[in-house]
Amino acid sequence: MIEVTKHTRDILLGVAKKRKVYVEGNFLKLLKAPDGDTEFEEYLRLCKEKDSTARRKRLQVTKQVQQQNKELVDKQKETDELMIELQQALESAKESEEEANQLRQEAEKGMGKALEDLELMQKKTQFELISTIVKVALYVIIGVGVLTTAMYGLALISGTDTQIIGSTWSNMFGILLTNAFSIVGTIMGVKYATEKE
Amino acid sequence: MINSILLVDDEDLFHLVFEDACSILDITLSLEALNSSDEADEKFKQWFPENPADERPECVFVDLNIIGSSYDGIELIRKINFEYGNGCVIGIISSSDDNQEIEKAKSAGAQFWIIKSDDIEPRLEEFRKDYEGYLNRTAPFKIYK
Repeated sequence: MIEVTKHTRDILLGVAKKRKVYVEGNFLKLLKAPDGDTEFEEYLRLCKEKDSTARRKRLQVTKQVQQQNKELVDKQKETDELMIELQQALESAKESEEEANQLRQEAEKGMGKALEDLELMQKKTQFELISTIVKVALYVIIGVGVLTTAMYGLALISGTDTQIIGSTWSNMFGILLTNAFSIVGTIMGVKYATEKE
Repeated sequence: MINSILLVDDEDLFHLVFEDACSILDITLSLEALNSSDEADEKFKQWFPENPADERPECVFVDLNIIGSSYDGIELIRKINFEYGNGCVIGIISSSDDNQEIEKAKSAGAQFWIIKSDDIEPRLEEFRKDYEGYLNRTAPFKIYK
């Protein structure tokens, strides 16, 4: 313990009275009042009380700050965890989007193929229809030709007047041949155009 | 009253808490606080064995996980006890109460384990009462919960 001299004691008491400045800190605990000096004893008691009060306040505030820091760290951890989860969710969404894109591309490919098949079927149907029309037209032409020829032959054999039927047969045969070639030409043209497309 | 205390803890705020608590409880007049086990290691290299009595602390409080250090508090205690002369009262002050770590600290030569919390003063008060036993190496290992 340090026993202060009278000079130091008077200065310390004077500063305390005039300026309200007191000794503080652990050094205070080393100071000892001279025996019987109640005034200085009281001064040291007051200094210790003030120091203790200040330390208690500081301790309380420091603890509060420490607690707040701890809470902040915990919240930061929570935020980091949420960020990781968010990142994972984003990656998952990206993967889903890529999968969806792949599926869309496959669907588009499928649709294209289906359209091609449909077009092919339509063409096939068109060709079948044209083929039927041609067959019917040829049957009609052949039928009419055969019928007119038969009538003309019958008229010749029976010796009846063949002027009208003869010119009719001639005209009819010409028209039928013309139409037949016209149909064949049209069919060939259509076929050629379709193949070119 | 303990002559001098050394606190090794990475948290500056805890230095203030510990210093104020020690002052209020009149535990010590001399307290030095370090932030890493490496700093403490350097100090102990100087203190032991060349100058064992003058500057070295009488009691050392070491945090378990000292962020920014090469090794943890238990390793520091082991070094102090087995490499630098085992010349002070030494123990852990940590928020952890992991039994495995406590056993490791005991085997490294720790004399006490104080659990950090908001209310550190009652534990330090209790520690102060037991201190004489630690100094004489008569008190058993104790956990202050």
